[in-house]
Amino acid sequence: MPITYDLMRQVTAQLYSWSLKKVPDDTLEALRLAQIAETHPGAKRTLQILLKSAIAAETSDRLVCSDSGVPVYFVQLGTATRLEGDIKRAIRDGFDELVRTHKPPLLKHVTNPLTNERGYHGKDMPLITWDVMDGADYVEITCQPKALGSGRWAALEIFSFPTLETIEAYVMDCVLKAGSQHCPPVLIGVGIGGSFDTAAKLAKLSTLRKLGSVNPEPILQAMEERLTIAVNKTGFGPMGTGGDTTTLGVHVDYASGHGFTPVAVCFNCWINRRTRARIYDDGRVERLE
Amino acid sequence: MSEFRDLALPMDEAAVRSLRAGDMITLTGEITITAGLPTFQRIADYLDRGEALPKDLTGGTLFHLGSYSRETEAGFEVLYMNPTTSTRFNPFMPRFIRQFGLRAVGGKGGLDAASAKAMQEVGCVYLSFVGGGCPLLSDAIRGVVSVHWNDLIAHYRLVTLRVEALGPLTVGIDAHGNSLYDQLQDDARARLPEIMAGLAAARGGAA
Repeated sequence: MPITYDLMRQVTAQLYSWSLKKVPDDTLEALRLAQIAETHPGAKRTLQILLKSAIAAETSDRLVCSDSGVPVYFVQLGTATRLEGDIKRAIRDGFDELVRTHKPPLLKHVTNPLTNERGYHGKDMPLITWDVMDGADYVEITCQPKALGSGRWAALEIFSFPTLETIEAYVMDCVLKAGSQHCPPVLIGVGIGGSFDTAAKLAKLSTLRKLGSVNPEPILQAMEERLTIAVNKTGFGPMGTGGDTTTLGVHVDYASGHGFTPVAVCFNCWINRRTRARIYDDGRVERLE
Repeated sequence: MSEFRDLALPMDEAAVRSLRAGDMITLTGEITITAGLPTFQRIADYLDRGEALPKDLTGGTLFHLGSYSRETEAGFEVLYMNPTTSTRFNPFMPRFIRQFGLRAVGGKGGLDAASAKAMQEVGCVYLSFVGGGCPLLSDAIRGVVSVHWNDLIAHYRLVTLRVEALGPLTVGIDAHGNSLYDQLQDDARARLPEIMAGLAAARGGAA
């Protein structure tokens, strides 16, 4: 039984709805640990309020944030799967159905950048990144709605043959520019190398990695550790009103390139919206998070 | 949340000036909210024409909160609300704070020095709402007082609500010229050489 239009439509719509009501478990755990470690009394209380809000949303089926963002999907197609029907249209149709039926109703956030008009529909929406997985007999879909609050502060700059010092200085520059604005504590994604678009994609994909997971590349593992410490020394703190916890983690990935080296930096606010599911070739659906 | 001081709205100047940056409080009374830049432009246009707003903001509050409102047979209902980034309203805020004598403004992320100056002159505080606090903040709603400018999308409307123990909210900028945001930004920039030295030390010979 191939993966059908109907399954794709249903699963992508469900992933979006779930992501609005549930802070991922790794993120809740990171917030709990931060709350224990936090030495600033106001920041400790703010972290407790954030956790309370996350739990209230999950247990009473409510939105964590009123800004449901725009739908962003990452789709990995296994080469051992069979597809039937318009899989790409299924994601768009799923979102259309969701905004008609979602409880509670969602605000209009899809924005035409040429006119600033907002609605539920727009060119190239949902935003989808496609990739292929050799040999897999499933399609894996991750949903990560994105909104202005943290999306506004992502940045990219191109260097030539930068040192690690230059790269880290640029990350810190982006952190200081964002300051208190992006609903900290944030997850920071950094992409290094490839071409212009590769670096941005790597930064985004890095924010999909679970907090607490270890980077397989030793140079980056060490960079992540020291950047996390460095960002938390800035003192912006939870919600940017001061404290030890400005980031829950910095995730870095790289691609080889040519020597002109793009460095992209992006931020996820503390609710770190992310849900993931697999649709197997036999029609089984597995919710991963 | 009884551990926090609850302030009744409207607040007088003395109550506002008693607050210090970093204090955590709750609010009870009437608040006016909107999350739309077009709404702020419309307010500015009303002021330019000397026209009265459909909801008088004098001595009141104006928060950067988005909400979902819809019309029912029994009138408007508001299903949820949550803060939005305040800094994009920077160009409007000093004028509005002075013109309306606002006692409290707020949202998330703070406002700039020009707004802080107006707040010090007038006796007004900036309150930080927790982003992603939708369930907790919405639970404080006790009733809808008015919803104006319904030609705009829901979160851009000018909405006045009755709330009880809304918060806790952190005083991000007080009425004495103290801004946590400016102070934290200054501190972080002052600390940057030390932070970069720490990164260099952690890299060892890698740099």
